[in-house]
Amino acid sequence: MALDTTSKSGSGQLLSRLIPLSFLTTHRVAFRQFLVRAISRRYRLSAFGALWMIVVPLVTLGIYTFVFGVVMESRWNSEQSGTSVFSIYLFSGLIVFWVMAEVVGQSPTAIAEHTNLVKRAVFPLEILPAVVVGSAVFHALVNALVLMAALLALQGTIPLSALWLPVVLAPFVLMLLGFAWILAAIGVYFRDIVHVVGLFLTGALFISPVFYDTSRLNPIIQSVIILNPITFIVVQTRKVILEGQAPDWIGLGLYLLVAWAVASIGLAFFRRARANFADVL
Amino acid sequence: MSDENNNSVVSARNISKSYTLYTRASQRLLHMILPKREYPKFEALKDVTFQVDRGETVGIIGQNGAGKSTLLQIVTGTVPPTTGTISVSGRAAALLELGAGFEPDFTGRENIRLNGTILGLNEAQLEERMNDIIAFSELSEFVDRPVRTYSSGMFMRLAFSVAAHVDADLLIIDEALAVGDARFTQKCMRFLKDFKRRGSILFVSHDMGAVTGLCDRVLWLDHGRIRAEGEPARVCEQYVASQFDGLIARPSENEIAPAKNKSRSNAQAPGQDEVVLYLPDTPPRESVLGLTSCSPFNPNANAFGSGGAAIVDAGIFDRNTGERLAQVREGQTVDLRISIEADDEVAAPIIGFYIKDRLGQHLLGENTFWEDVPQHSIAAGQSICTVFSFDWPAMKAGAYALTIAIADGSMADHIQRHWIHDAIIFEVLSSSSRHGLVGLNMHRVAIDYAPVQ
Repeated sequence: MALDTTSKSGSGQLLSRLIPLSFLTTHRVAFRQFLVRAISRRYRLSAFGALWMIVVPLVTLGIYTFVFGVVMESRWNSEQSGTSVFSIYLFSGLIVFWVMAEVVGQSPTAIAEHTNLVKRAVFPLEILPAVVVGSAVFHALVNALVLMAALLALQGTIPLSALWLPVVLAPFVLMLLGFAWILAAIGVYFRDIVHVVGLFLTGALFISPVFYDTSRLNPIIQSVIILNPITFIVVQTRKVILEGQAPDWIGLGLYLLVAWAVASIGLAFFRRARANFADVL
Repeated sequence: MSDENNNSVVSARNISKSYTLYTRASQRLLHMILPKREYPKFEALKDVTFQVDRGETVGIIGQNGAGKSTLLQIVTGTVPPTTGTISVSGRAAALLELGAGFEPDFTGRENIRLNGTILGLNEAQLEERMNDIIAFSELSEFVDRPVRTYSSGMFMRLAFSVAAHVDADLLIIDEALAVGDARFTQKCMRFLKDFKRRGSILFVSHDMGAVTGLCDRVLWLDHGRIRAEGEPARVCEQYVASQFDGLIARPSENEIAPAKNKSRSNAQAPGQDEVVLYLPDTPPRESVLGLTSCSPFNPNANAFGSGGAAIVDAGIFDRNTGERLAQVREGQTVDLRISIEADDEVAAPIIGFYIKDRLGQHLLGENTFWEDVPQHSIAAGQSICTVFSFDWPAMKAGAYALTIAIADGSMADHIQRHWIHDAIIFEVLSSSSRHGLVGLNMHRVAIDYAPVQ
């Protein structure tokens, strides 16, 4: 409903261009408000409330485990066998995939759902796609806790290297932030993006190391799979949580570099596109 | 903000806005890929230049579709101009159409927080003002419900209350006051009149009375261009005149003739060439015209005063039967009774009232002070009743409010003991007053085509 157009200082603008996250400090009150609302909205009206947060992923995991682990008798690799190990590998992969699925699936409508804020206010709209990412990350944290509990129950111990998990996920979150901004901006102009996104997610789920161990595949196929944004992160997540190893630091550094570029480009793209949002919606 | 004039809050230069009209969504995409292809365009604004100086209140008038809302959106910053430059300095709070940037699923309180922070309040200021904002909006029990359950009036109250509490330098108001109830609109007008001393206002309205009453300068937008600009009364007159240009066709001669005959047959005592246009029915006129409903006295209405004496009741009563009236007719002889209880002595009481229209303009009023009549004091503990007897005036349909007050002193020098802003709300449902704010007690209307020289 309003604006504050006192000229922004040049240095502040430069800073916000370099660090695509700086807006989160400026608008933290609104960001927090929308994030809490986004998370609570999904469960507030249902009778079992937040219980669904755990039930849905576990049942989904159960179905996949039944189909791939029991019916098709997939095993992770030769030395580690058993359905429970397969299930845990599967779950750790799914957690990463679900973050992307939520972000990519919901970003295209993140702006279109808030016509009021676009047309009648000078609202920092860039926080809306970021809220989608924040909500997805929250759900991932809940799932990660469930995974830890499962590990404790099955193996009696969690490797210390699991503490690296936030470091592994941070570049991924930055990458998704970039996706979210780009998709949200495109979604305003081009509603068809919703269908494209659905196809992309199906591909991203199956052409990835979520269901199978890609290290056994031929190098050409591997080089295709590594283009999937979740591939590297899924592998590193399993490394730190399940295999007790430190992450691949060089790979993580490269990923961070790419993610930073995607996020910066995404934010710049979003800000350019937003000028005409009110005309289109 | 490199304005040559540092005193301007809004400075718009050669603003134009055109919308490309696509019939299908795919055309927009095609246009992005092949920008050379031509599509039909709608020009909402054409070369508009204006500025608003610090402390100035500028009105924007014009027909629907003249570009008023687009212009406000450009000033607010939600829509970029196609060409031209706009600069706004300072903090602007906008009430665009209904309800501003509210999130339907958020509660009133959450929306206050959301909009307050967007408008530049920090968390401490927000908590500090939260109660004031809620109190101003009068939404007390609704403030924790989602705003999608609000009525349009409640939406407006919330939006106005937030805008009123953010220390804005510029208020942008688009027809927002049209949806409020009479009492709240009164309150908003009081606020705006007070705000004028501190800040600038950009005010869009179809209500010429409100525009002339509030604004220092008026822009008349016509088909996206500024058609006239200047002193409010003059520009509004031109605008209203232009509205009638197209509407009233000059009557042809054969249309006049039958009307003339008809009028004559009705006339009581027509002159030679006199056409009687209007004669009242046998008085008092018992028609549906001129009916006014009166709310009960509201003891909790907005009030101020030094105390010591309080207005405890007021009402409109029938002069003959003495019964309290919920409905009054034009011309009916009524008593306005004002009951006062004095805790302390009031040495020189002056009791008075105003009837205000919904913009807060004082239309009618009277008080008990007469130059040559001595004032009698009211003793401590005494209760009195003041009676004003008059014929109920003919007022244009709409909402009105009664302000009543008791002061102590002379007309030139007094203190207000108790002043109640909107003690009673009147709703004039129908009126014999066809033009202007106040009706005349019309006895006869005629045109003499052959006056005796």
